[in-house]
Amino acid sequence: MRTTCPYCGVGCQVEPEIQGGRILRVLAPDIPPNHGALCVKGRFGLDFPFSGKRLLYPMVREDRHQAFRRVSWDEALDFTANKLLAVLKRRGPEAIAVFPSAKTTNEEVYLTQKLARALLSTNHVDHCSRLCHSSSTVALSRSLGGASMTNPLEDIWKTDLFLVVGSNTTETHPVIGAMIKKRVRQGAGLIVVDPRYTGMAEAATLWLRVRPGTDLFLLNAMARYILEEGLWDQGYVEERTEGFAAWRASLEAYTLEEAEGITGVEKEKIALAARLYATTERAGAYWAMGVTQHTKGTATAQALVNLALLTGKVGKEGAGLNPLRGQNNVQGAGDMGGLPDVLPGYLKVAEEAGRKRFEALWGVGLNPEPGLRMTEVFQRIPEVEAIYLIGEDPVTSEPYQDHLKAKLEALPFLVVQDILENETTSFAHVVLPAASFLEKDGTFTNTDRRVQRIRKLLDPPGEARPDWWILQELGRRLAQALGRPWASYPGPEAIWEEVRRAIPEMMGGITYRRLEREGVRWPCPHEDHPGEAVLFRERFNTPTGKARFFPVHYTPPAETPSQDYPLTLSTGRVLFHWHGGTLSRNSQLQEAYPELKVEVNPKDAGRLGIQDGEIIQVVSRRGRIRARAWVTDRTPEGVVYAPFHFAEAPANRLTLDALDPFSRIPEYKVAAVRLEKLD
Amino acid sequence: MRLRVNGQEVEAQEGTLLLEITDPPHLCYHPHTETRGICRLCLVEVDGRLLPACTTQAQEGMEVRTDTQELQTLRRTLLEWLALTTDLGQAPSLLALLKAHHGQPQRWGKLPLNRREREPIRDNPFFLRDYAKCVNCRLCVDACGDGIMGVYALALEGRGLMAHPTTPLDRPLPETPCVFCGNCLQVCPTGALRPLSAEV
Ligand code: SF4
Ligand code: SF4
Ligand code: SF4
Ligand code: FES
Repeated sequence: MRTTCPYCGVGCQVEPEIQGGRILRVLAPDIPPNHGALCVKGRFGLDFPFSGKRLLYPMVREDRHQAFRRVSWDEALDFTANKLLAVLKRRGPEAIAVFPSAKTTNEEVYLTQKLARALLSTNHVDHCSRLCHSSSTVALSRSLGGASMTNPLEDIWKTDLFLVVGSNTTETHPVIGAMIKKRVRQGAGLIVVDPRYTGMAEAATLWLRVRPGTDLFLLNAMARYILEEGLWDQGYVEERTEGFAAWRASLEAYTLEEAEGITGVEKEKIALAARLYATTERAGAYWAMGVTQHTKGTATAQALVNLALLTGKVGKEGAGLNPLRGQNNVQGAGDMGGLPDVLPGYLKVAEEAGRKRFEALWGVGLNPEPGLRMTEVFQRIPEVEAIYLIGEDPVTSEPYQDHLKAKLEALPFLVVQDILENETTSFAHVVLPAASFLEKDGTFTNTDRRVQRIRKLLDPPGEARPDWWILQELGRRLAQALGRPWASYPGPEAIWEEVRRAIPEMMGGITYRRLEREGVRWPCPHEDHPGEAVLFRERFNTPTGKARFFPVHYTPPAETPSQDYPLTLSTGRVLFHWHGGTLSRNSQLQEAYPELKVEVNPKDAGRLGIQDGEIIQVVSRRGRIRARAWVTDRTPEGVVYAPFHFAEAPANRLTLDALDPFSRIPEYKVAAVRLEKLD
Repeated sequence: MRLRVNGQEVEAQEGTLLLEITDPPHLCYHPHTETRGICRLCLVEVDGRLLPACTTQAQEGMEVRTDTQELQTLRRTLLEWLALTTDLGQAPSLLALLKAHHGQPQRWGKLPLNRREREPIRDNPFFLRDYAKCVNCRLCVDACGDGIMGVYALALEGRGLMAHPTTPLDRPLPETPCVFCGNCLQVCPTGALRPLSAEV
């Protein structure tokens, strides 16, 4: 039976063949988005639901120092409801945060934020895309009025030039990486902006090896050059945008000469990249964490948006602005309102129109105050007293791990709802065992807005239950105590039907029946609508219908190398693993990549006397980890690259919690470190 | 555009492959790998000549026959040779085809060289390369290379009967650029490439 890969936002369709409690093989059907292709994670990494680390029974304890007690579902849910109600009564909704997950289904995210908003009256709702694409979301929303990929993945076949910035696509979105590479073999150009020699850089026609954290300067310099050379799309700028004059004036300082000095890229190369991008009609921009995970992440994403508007690339086939979303359901988690400032369909909680719609639908009054973002919630502990955490492992994924652990220790009440034991489980007061993607029905929305089914192929083990069931049962208890209405749903499809009614302009035409064969893209307002492929063909989703330029300026990273910490640490992922490693390291993938390897440039290694394969320590102002050195010139001199998947050697013990002022994303991509030999 | 297939008028679009409008058996064709014209199983008769349906585009006025006595005999022989040289134990569709064509591989006697003796190669955590079962269709090579991945971890080596796909210089897969996407497994029609998880 056909279902959707649970790893990344590509949303590949998979057909696992399951027999006798294990997966025999995984094939892929010949339908979008992957047309039969998969990467190693979808092909060989789907066996984590069979891991011995599965959470099988509900467990509770009064405080962190007691042992967990296995209890019945009734007891666990009563206990959780009573604790949340007590906090609500004593401290009010501001003291409770509820985090849905970009790994759960649309239906489940919808239900989670409904529970938070309609019953607990809190808008402290957020999920892990805070840590990946929040910067893109801010920049795209304020400029275009929408924060998804503007173009479908099929457009890759129509693109003549790719501008890929800060995305290790072949490892983090491998099926998209393979598609782009194939299109390049057919003759398209590929400009890659990345400090590391990734698979993309290897395939590039033009590789700009920027110093970490300087892309913004490069992009602004490209824009200035395009203006100077008269290569911009004047008609487009006049008809479809606003804020141009002020933005243009802001580019004064971004000359090619300056750019060469700051970014380390020869000015001829920058000029060539600018020229190619401006003069290729079908040029698409793609980007990921290398852009967003900086204190100037929003500004950098904005610089890309500005560049695309200047050259008239948005609203056209084979072009557009395409942030590659990370988790399988990041797109859906945002669409379903898993964010502190918006309801489902991106209706703002602060605006009456949106609130009214949901007040009518849910039959309750709603809190008009936008909530705190995830990174802020953790900082506000213990003012925030209760956190309900679904499918997330902040101990591994948040920056500056020691600081976060201290915060969690001080947290009076933590609910962890998840499928596998992870680093955060040990901080919980309640553990609610959830069903994995193989054990429930529902939908995920992939990076190009395609709503796709997941299907129940197995029964959950032990007493694990689907998240939607847990939420519904908890909601029923809270509603009863609070005297508020709460619908009861026979299954995920009924929840989806409510979503369709709630945001018909976006999801109205998408029924489970239509999804039987293949996914449908939103916006899809009615059942005869095919689903929109290219966004903003005619107008943008802003009040005036025009896109907005915003001036943005380069600032150096929050922490720069010093005498004691002379190297720059950049964190990220590797092909074989996924985020905190909770899934991939409990699957067959672990065998292929069992331990942390940090990339060290041969020049740095030579200077420090570090051999390839040697165990070393990576030390920052906040902590130290042990790792195996991989001496390679994939990473430039002065830079150390560490994947963050390994709980026993967590790269996020080293990162700092300096945040982007708009998106509140941490600067994962730049921290000052030194390497020490173990003697 | 109109042409005749087995005496019947057929309407086809410019650029359509004969394979898409006729139904001969085929082995080495795959829509995603761009592999074409190697196995010869899909031969059809076009205006009296034998041409592979997977590489031949439909043309106005063509006379195509897909099931002549001559073609039947040829397919039978091709299938017999595959069965003779290769272990088709994990290729049920090929075995069915052999049966449907009344194939009797034994009638050719014993071969001096035989790929059946090749040992399976198990050099990575995910899948086996069991070239005793390989029919040299090249699908894996093309899936890994130009067709899908652009990785080029596999190449065809050797000649004639002993030709087989392997890694450059026969290196273990983890020492090649292989990314273990398993797309070669997905296209392999014979079970020569198969996941370790399917082994008992
Ligand atoms: S590319 Fe992403 S969705 Fe596709 S198989 Fe790999 S991890 Fe799964
Ligand atoms: S698994 Fe390796 S050999 Fe097979 S297609 Fe993928 S990269 Fe090529
Ligand atoms: S291994 Fe499989 S796909 Fe590759 S040539 Fe042999 S039979 Fe064909
Ligand atoms: S399928 Fe046509 S020659 Fe192999």
